[in-house]
Amino acid sequence: MTDTRRRNEIRLDPDPVIEAYKRDIDRTLLRENLKLSVDERFRKLMALQRFAEELRRAGRAAR
Amino acid sequence: MTDFEGLLKVLRDGGVEYILVGGAAATAHGSARLTEDIDVVYSRTPENIACLASALRPCSPYLRGAPPGLPFQWDAETIRRGLNFTLSTSLGSLDLFGEIAGGGSYESLLPDCIDLTVFGIPCRCLGLDRLIQVKRAAGRPKDLEAIAELEALREERGRS
Repeated sequence: MTDTRRRNEIRLDPDPVIEAYKRDIDRTLLRENLKLSVDERFRKLMALQRFAEELRRAGRAAR
Repeated sequence: MTDFEGLLKVLRDGGVEYILVGGAAATAHGSARLTEDIDVVYSRTPENIACLASALRPCSPYLRGAPPGLPFQWDAETIRRGLNFTLSTSLGSLDLFGEIAGGGSYESLLPDCIDLTVFGIPCRCLGLDRLIQVKRAAGRPKDLEAIAELEALREERGRS
């Protein structure tokens, strides 16, 4: 990824609600994703979609 | 399943001016969350609306969740009269936004974009800080976890 534009100044002050949610984020997953290229991130997402779709199908079949 | 590569190719081949936002943009930044669609903010110029109408027509766009058989016609006039469209297409779900809460239009988001290449396709993606900002501004409870994850990504990137 490359930045090509001068961005607007964006201030993101800490929000206590978001800080509370942040405590439950699994950062190990994020660190693994940050090691991947953008293409690899999208391929992983599509594999996850296929898996979710298969689980839904299996769930329907079991009912 | 959404064919991300296929949809991005359709937009690229059609010469559509757009910015990747939402869950797909979050994926590009490293999010581990599952998203099922592509959200884009498109430029509302007459030229771009014409490009968008032509580019998507072969993908049979239809209003997602609407009953079949509605007199929905995908053309430049429909896009011009509307603003935001949640579509199902032959390549998967695609949400088109003329404007987004807290972000405004394509033109106002443009300075906060990054250029990236996905599957060999150049595209514009909303930068991480602005993505957080617009999600915060939208104020939807369902986004709280996603915002927390994006902010955690921002911190992790700052550490490396």
